[in-house]
Amino acid sequence: MTTRKLLGSATILALVLLAACGGAEKPAEVAEKPAAEAPAGPPVDPATAATVTGKVVYKDGKPQPNRIRMDADAACAAMHGTPVFSHEVVVNDNGTLRYVFVYVKEGLDNRTFPTPKEPAVLDQRGCLYTPHVVGVQTNQDVKILNSDSTTHNIHPVPTNNREWNTSMPPGAEPLVKNFPREELLIPVKCNVHPWMKSYIGVLKHPFFAVTGIDGTFTLKGLPPGEYTIAAWQEKFGAVEQKVTVGPKETKTVDFTITPKAAGD
Amino acid sequence: MPEQPDRDDPIVSRSMSAPLLAASLILVGTLAWALYDEFYGLRPWKPYQREFIRLYTRYLEKAIPEQAAAEQRVRESEAFQKLEQQFQAAEAAAAPRVSEIDREIRDLDRRISVLTDVFQLARGKIGALTYRAETASSQRGKEKLLEEIQRVKEGPFRARLPVPDGTVETINYTFDQLEEEYNRLKQRKASLIADRAVALEEATAWRRQRDAYLQEHLVGLTEQQMRGLGRGVQSFQIEIKQINVPDTQLVDRCESCHVGIREPVTLSRADMSGQAVFVTHPNKALLKIHDPDRFGCSPCHGGNGRATSSIEKAHGQYKHWLWPLSPMENVEAGCQQCHGRDIVLEHAEVLNHGKELFRLRGCIGCHRFEGFDDERERLQATRQYIQQLLAQRAESEREIERSIQLGDAAATNEEAQRHYAQAENLRVGISKLDAEAEQLRIQAASLLREEKRIGPNLKEVRVKLRRDWIPVWLENPHAWRPTTKMPRFRLRRDELEAIAAFIWQSGIEAKLPAQPPGNPTRGKELFETRGCLACHARGEGEDAGGGSFAANLSRVGEKTNYNYLVRWIHNPRERTRPYCSLEKRDLGPEDYARKGLPFVLDLEHSTCPNDGEELQVQSGTVMPSLRLTWEEARDLASYLMTQRRQNPPPYPKADYMDDPNLKEQGKFWVRHYGCAGCHEIAGLEEEGRIGTDLTTEGSKPIDRLDFALFTIPAQRQGWRTHKNFFERKLADPAFFDQGKIRPRTEQLKMPNPNVTPGEIRALTTFLMGSTEPAFPQSYFYRPTDQRRDIQEGWWIVAKYNCMGCHQVRIGKKSVLMTLAAYQTPEGKDQLPPPLIGAGARLNPEWMARFLENPALSATDLNRNGVRTYLRARMPTFNLSVGEIQKLVRFFQALSSQAQPYIPPKLAPLTDRERLMAEQLFTHPAAPCLKCHATGDPAHDRTAIAPNFLLVKERLKPGWTERWIIDPAGIIPGTAMPSGLFRREGGRWVFSGPLPAGVHGYPGDHAELLVRYMFQLSAEEQRRLSGRLAASAPARSAGVSANLVQSH
Repeated sequence: MTTRKLLGSATILALVLLAACGGAEKPAEVAEKPAAEAPAGPPVDPATAATVTGKVVYKDGKPQPNRIRMDADAACAAMHGTPVFSHEVVVNDNGTLRYVFVYVKEGLDNRTFPTPKEPAVLDQRGCLYTPHVVGVQTNQDVKILNSDSTTHNIHPVPTNNREWNTSMPPGAEPLVKNFPREELLIPVKCNVHPWMKSYIGVLKHPFFAVTGIDGTFTLKGLPPGEYTIAAWQEKFGAVEQKVTVGPKETKTVDFTITPKAAGD
Repeated sequence: MPEQPDRDDPIVSRSMSAPLLAASLILVGTLAWALYDEFYGLRPWKPYQREFIRLYTRYLEKAIPEQAAAEQRVRESEAFQKLEQQFQAAEAAAAPRVSEIDREIRDLDRRISVLTDVFQLARGKIGALTYRAETASSQRGKEKLLEEIQRVKEGPFRARLPVPDGTVETINYTFDQLEEEYNRLKQRKASLIADRAVALEEATAWRRQRDAYLQEHLVGLTEQQMRGLGRGVQSFQIEIKQINVPDTQLVDRCESCHVGIREPVTLSRADMSGQAVFVTHPNKALLKIHDPDRFGCSPCHGGNGRATSSIEKAHGQYKHWLWPLSPMENVEAGCQQCHGRDIVLEHAEVLNHGKELFRLRGCIGCHRFEGFDDERERLQATRQYIQQLLAQRAESEREIERSIQLGDAAATNEEAQRHYAQAENLRVGISKLDAEAEQLRIQAASLLREEKRIGPNLKEVRVKLRRDWIPVWLENPHAWRPTTKMPRFRLRRDELEAIAAFIWQSGIEAKLPAQPPGNPTRGKELFETRGCLACHARGEGEDAGGGSFAANLSRVGEKTNYNYLVRWIHNPRERTRPYCSLEKRDLGPEDYARKGLPFVLDLEHSTCPNDGEELQVQSGTVMPSLRLTWEEARDLASYLMTQRRQNPPPYPKADYMDDPNLKEQGKFWVRHYGCAGCHEIAGLEEEGRIGTDLTTEGSKPIDRLDFALFTIPAQRQGWRTHKNFFERKLADPAFFDQGKIRPRTEQLKMPNPNVTPGEIRALTTFLMGSTEPAFPQSYFYRPTDQRRDIQEGWWIVAKYNCMGCHQVRIGKKSVLMTLAAYQTPEGKDQLPPPLIGAGARLNPEWMARFLENPALSATDLNRNGVRTYLRARMPTFNLSVGEIQKLVRFFQALSSQAQPYIPPKLAPLTDRERLMAEQLFTHPAAPCLKCHATGDPAHDRTAIAPNFLLVKERLKPGWTERWIIDPAGIIPGTAMPSGLFRREGGRWVFSGPLPAGVHGYPGDHAELLVRYMFQLSAEEQRRLSGRLAASAPARSAGVSANLVQSH
């Protein structure tokens, strides 16, 4: 035993006490409880359900659509007697835009919705995707068909879901896939036919629509509340509007898309 | 007379009570102190261990039910239940047979156990008699004993054997019968056990699958394993936990307090009541590679592994311990000691970053560091070695002469023959020397080509730069281009002017051909698509986008001459004049003219006309050639010239730069500041590095780190450490000059490296880890197998920034992959291929050819050789032979490919197979030739995959088969679709409708197609693509040139 220790013997008591009190330093207890799961919102009452409807107007006249040349695959070219035009920007005769994906972006809080049993269908027909834009709920089946007499490969390029790329020869069995995560919107392409392009919007809820030949959309069965409605177009991006609907109310929300305004 | 008691007798006259009391108090006190020390003072780890037991028990009590519930969920899952049922069913099916076998085994066991006794007794008896017979002294005695053995063998040996019905039968055996029966029963039992395994085969397989499923789907341990941990805690011994490696005299007792560090569960601070000391090691993968029982703790983390008396002692944070625990933010310093030869190291991103910065920011220009940019040293060593070989050769030749003379004059034939043989052997020896010298010359030429400079060649300033810009740049490079690697020197005005003048006046005077203006719009497109952004950024501040490997080009138009820029883009390695290291000067056209030679300098014309020495014909830049046409180079240069600020103020006139009086003074300062460490400067080509060698800077005694006037305050405030020295110096290199009065030339020269706090951390980590070896060499990561190829290859990959365009490490994105333009589906298709698994994909010989000439053509250079459809261009790096060898070996090693590669022999196709393969290959359900290039320009305009004719030379068959079966598993996101084949009866079968000819083919379709591809001739491919075109309807044939891609 060293002198130093002997000299220190006077502090024994203090040290013993210290040791008894727990000795070595201990940081304060850290309580790390996971944040409690937010409770799911109330279910939708059909008796009070509201509707949002409207149309998407294109502000810039009627642009000349791009013609698709299918010469790279003679089988595709042979399927069409008349010229085929790109679906990227389709302006209807009444000045509205077709293939705009309109959906509820915010306002549903934590409500959950059952996954529809019916699959959404995406067909490869005439070396084009039908429909050009399709919306599904998360985990809802997407049934992919090949109605053509040529081989396609279907290749979604998602950011948040898993990517896959599957060959579909003519007469192939329908391919059934689903997307477990919300994503707006997943481009789908066919590497063999570079002009083929489709978009799949995946949402956790059923409040979405794609504008058709009259450029209108209807979102039915909405619980009363305040919502942000977004209209997304593949070339021009998205525009948003806020709307508040009361019980059983129907409100009209019209969107106007101009190439310049939608750029930002 | 009674004796008077002696008055001086101390026993009588004095009491010793007081001293005794004092002594016993001291003794008791000492005992208490000793006991205290024994239990607490010297063993502060004891309360830690007790606390750990308490917390861990609490943790397990909570975690076991949770984990059990998680396990239950897996067990209840449909898939598990299915497997469980399969197992149960299989077991039930086997049960009758198994129980029958078990019964028979049981009966057998009973009989065997009885028989074993009888048999062993008999054998012992006979053995004893045999031994006596062997050692009997007389022949007679021997014979007698042999007779007795025979008699004993006759028996009878009586065994009372149990019968299955419960009775007992008594059998008398002779010894031979006994032995036979014994062996028969044993064999029977072995065969029954084998039968049992066969009967349970299916059930066992299902059980394995079931258990594997549980293991795969359960995060963490099973309940049973957790309970095992719980039992471990119950029987925990409070004692010193010690790792002892006798070979290296390593003793680490860290686990005496860090008790939980190796627990198989993950213990966070929160799990352990906030006590960081009890967490598990945060990187279990790392512990797997570095088994603590062999590596201990302190070799990586520092600290005094033997000390257990206090935290400060154990962590080595006291005066007398030279290797304190690395702070958390520099923890990777511990990797460097053993991994000094790795430039890219898994699990050590901070250290990797530090090394990358050390090289890229040009620290290496002034500071030697073993293994970094040592081409010049190695070149010198190689040249010396060649000289030695030549001397040895000359000596051998003289020796041959002498041997022949001796042979000619020899007295006997034998002697003559001996001398002649000696001469012969020496001659053969010389041929070996010649071969070695040849390799060394290749190596020397390689090294000359490999030597690069951090900064640009300053001999070209006059043709490259606007004169008046130079002083502005020298004044403060960071103000002009914040991200530049050029450091800021603290120059006085007169020094700056002299340096500028010297640099300007020592530049080569030359007139570059005047270039007509190009098209900046096309140039911009080239800049954005050819891959320039993998290394260069453009845009300032927040707007900057692109790589940080090379210069940010946002202001290049303000300083550069257009004509030079065109030449640079066309071929960055082109230099105005070659440099001869023997004459130590640049050669001019006049040198060539004198010898009647044309003034041509390229890699084929690289010998000095004066002395035959290998010339430096390239600029020392790592920038490769993109094989652009002159027109494209002009377009690009025209675009880059637009990269400038709006209306930049004119630079102040700097006429002094042409003042010849300043030149000598300028040269002095250029040499003083070590500019030639990074730049090639006329007259200073062979300058050495001016800074300290930093190879072992991390363990330099602290007294030798010059804290100058801060020595005492630093000591007092506790920051006189290596870490603080490095950090302060990197943040402000003049820091330790504060308050010092010294002549200008003795002031600290280190320029300001312009590094962020994150970069300081990385560099400090690297330097802290750069220590004298404190452990035996056997600990160091210096592999001699394929891992060395990987280690060496990373240096080349990092040197040329292959990761700018390619993904090389799993999970690490290339620079291009992060750019906005490559996020769209179309953009992703334009990404250069990932190189993960490239060694398994590519034939190494082909790879070497490709690296040398990525155009794969001697004439058609303005293209990609393989992926003609990619707009990003695989550049020509003008790699040396040595670099190509290292790269090829690197990729082969990364994929664990044996070297040298011997292509497997593929069975030739029978006529029927050829027909079938052709049908599959051109089947509408597998339109291979639609996407893959064929060499027909009209078709290739829309091709998105390589030409099949490259397959034979380029690919490996095994990889090719794996690829066509599951391409997305090798390159996620590839354009090549999956699902072309399906598994059927142990083979891969084409999943589309089968062509008629293929029906009934028993072989593997994928394998058949691979063989076909490897045997495909150009002629055959032409025929097939012709057939495809002919099958197209007439109206659309030949108009594919009009194709519009809808983006």
